[in-house]
Amino acid sequence: MIQTEAITQEQLDKQRQGRLYSFWKEFRKKKPALFSLFFIGFLVIVMIIGPYVVPYDPAAPDYNKLLESPSLQHLFGTDAFGRDILSRLAVGARISLTVSISAVLLGAIVGTVLGLISGYFGKWMDRLIMRICDVLFAFPDLILAIGIVAILGPGLKNVVIAVSFFSIPSFARIVRSATLESKEMLFVEATRSIGASNRRIIWKHIFPETIPTIIVYFTMKVGTAILAAASLSFLGLGAEPSSPDWGAMLSKSRDYIDSAFHLVFFPGLIIFLTVLAFNVLGDGLRDVLDPKTKD
Amino acid sequence: MTNKWIRLMILLGIIVVVSACSSDANSDNDQGNKGEGDKELTIAIDQNFVTLDPQNAGDTVSIFGTRAMYEGLVGFNEHMEIEPVLAEDYQVSDDALTYTFQLRKDVTFHDGEPFNADAVKANYERIIDEDNDLRAKRNLQYVEKLEVINEYEVAFILNQPFSAMLNKFAMVPFISPKALEDDEKDIALHPVGTGPFKFIEWNQGDSLVLEKYNDYWNAANSDAEKVTFKPVPENGSRAAMLKTGEADFIYPVPQQDIKELESNSDVVIEKTPSTIARYVSINTFKEPFNNEKVRKAMNYAVNKDAYIKVVKNGYGNILDSTMSTETQYYTKQEPYEFNLEKAKDLLTEAGYENGFEAEIWGNTSSETLQGMEFIKQQLAEIGIDVTIKSMEEGTLSDEIYTPETPKDAKVQMWYVSWSPSSGDADGATRSLFSSEYFPPNGANTAYYNNSDVNTWIHVANETSNIDEQEEIYANIQSTVYREAPWIFLATDTILSGHRKNLEGVYVLPDGSVSIKNAQFK
Repeated sequence: MIQTEAITQEQLDKQRQGRLYSFWKEFRKKKPALFSLFFIGFLVIVMIIGPYVVPYDPAAPDYNKLLESPSLQHLFGTDAFGRDILSRLAVGARISLTVSISAVLLGAIVGTVLGLISGYFGKWMDRLIMRICDVLFAFPDLILAIGIVAILGPGLKNVVIAVSFFSIPSFARIVRSATLESKEMLFVEATRSIGASNRRIIWKHIFPETIPTIIVYFTMKVGTAILAAASLSFLGLGAEPSSPDWGAMLSKSRDYIDSAFHLVFFPGLIIFLTVLAFNVLGDGLRDVLDPKTKD
Repeated sequence: MTNKWIRLMILLGIIVVVSACSSDANSDNDQGNKGEGDKELTIAIDQNFVTLDPQNAGDTVSIFGTRAMYEGLVGFNEHMEIEPVLAEDYQVSDDALTYTFQLRKDVTFHDGEPFNADAVKANYERIIDEDNDLRAKRNLQYVEKLEVINEYEVAFILNQPFSAMLNKFAMVPFISPKALEDDEKDIALHPVGTGPFKFIEWNQGDSLVLEKYNDYWNAANSDAEKVTFKPVPENGSRAAMLKTGEADFIYPVPQQDIKELESNSDVVIEKTPSTIARYVSINTFKEPFNNEKVRKAMNYAVNKDAYIKVVKNGYGNILDSTMSTETQYYTKQEPYEFNLEKAKDLLTEAGYENGFEAEIWGNTSSETLQGMEFIKQQLAEIGIDVTIKSMEEGTLSDEIYTPETPKDAKVQMWYVSWSPSSGDADGATRSLFSSEYFPPNGANTAYYNNSDVNTWIHVANETSNIDEQEEIYANIQSTVYREAPWIFLATDTILSGHRKNLEGVYVLPDGSVSIKNAQFK
């Protein structure tokens, strides 16, 4: 008895390792997704070390260098206050990524819990949670976010809450369907027949099965969240106008679209590339992780 | 994967097509506006009209909006000098207490009512009625009574001489007595005046549409058949409207677009010095702003040259008094030079060597946001941590003018501008610096209270001696400037733009747009 268990454990480890390896082998073939991963990795590095390595202080104005076009000194040019745009974008990565990732993380946690409960217990609890999600689905995402920020007041913290709020129902729904599927699996039946508690079944056996789905969806959703956070900042509901948030930078530059194009172009480009990278990465991950597309 | 890229390309394709369609639609629209022989005048401005009641309009935009439909006994010409309008002529008695006006006999209101002494009387009664609480009442506060001499002659008797009285008469437009009788509450929504244009419709926040009044007494002045005022707060859109011809006149022209527009042969850019003063009013009632040293430090900390360069793109002058060079009795003061050391020393003396936190309020226009951000950057240099709070104009006005007492006021700093619509020194002083004009009574949002200044303002109003007035206003300016209830920033250069085929629309030094002489070539 003891022996068999030990072997199973070992096999399981091996299998797990194999899973990770085969995942990587598969993923490597998806060139766009791989490239996106590198780009996001680069952004994360910028986000961590950015403030220490940028060539200029992103907040320091230089009134003798207003609205300068891109040059060797200022690769992305300077803005209306003579601040270096490259430095601002690099430091702004921290704001934009933190806001969007934490918002989606918050939404994912709440959504996953709701989805697990709803899928596992079913019956009235399922109906209740799903109907609430339907109601939330009925609102256009951004309008809902604007509404929430309008109630809570402007500021990054509230943007996080607003953006996470509208990602809750999608996570709940997606996790629920994954739960419904794995609930019927043989090993879950087996665990239940041994007499494991509901909590243990959900946490140890069903939740791990839903992780791939969550990862895929999470990646995709981060792109949307960056865009939503930037939109809210653009409308003046998010970051303080003086902070180097990408959306806020874009918003303030729009007066100069005719006279100093680089002011709009670079923040716009970086938002575009980041959102695209997250979406392509999400796509790639789905191709590899989702058993349905794999078979 | 290739499948996905194809989908992406299709999506991009759709976007391009859709945006191309929408710009097509726009240019179709433009064609309509530009059509040959079409005398429709479209004016894009940066703010909304607050009210169309001409006797209760306080902001510049509402004042010039109503001026298209309403007239007073006298008015301003292009240089803000007084000229007769509804009065053919006027006389001022030697003791400066009686103003007699001979009225035009050929004037009718838009509803057909004749303009005569009775109409003047009905309006006068509406304005002085305490219950109506109209802004125009301030303009007539020295008027003791109105005497109707005959159908076309009236006399206003003052209780004390007041030199700016004619300017004040120019700020009192007349409403049809019939409209006043029918539904007085509705005046703000359905204006009926004697002006060159009559009201068609007002979509709050979108447009104010007027059409030519065919029985206007001076109909040859303008050949515009229809006038549309469009509030377009977005600087870029306003400039684009002028470029495409969607608007025939825009004010203000965004400074950053001047160079580009000047090179456009369809567009003419006009630059006029103005009476508009830009400043940050500091609530002198609140700590730490009640300390003069703190306020002075704030003035020394702001680099005015850089302000003009950054926020005004070089179009403006340093505000070196409490009023602009274009205002009556302006006296130059020694401006606070940009000196961080001095500012820090003053803050230390005041006991704030570590700075403090403060809040600055302003409206949502792009220029205000940029101005507030500039102030934030400058004050950060001396340790004052400023939070920017930008509010929509209506909300802002409520927040500032609702508090009943200085104690209730929440405003700390307000980034704002002032322009005396009557062009006189009194208009640039009394309601800003007299303690009788704390909100909600007036615009003394700095809650500035200096008994000398209070007295001087009274004395200056009462004397009719020009030299004496000049001296008093010089005193007021130097005292207020020294005590720094504001961060004194700049005076505006008025930048307006019109299409080449339009003439006669201009901006007065107080920032009001005059359309009464609009002519299409």
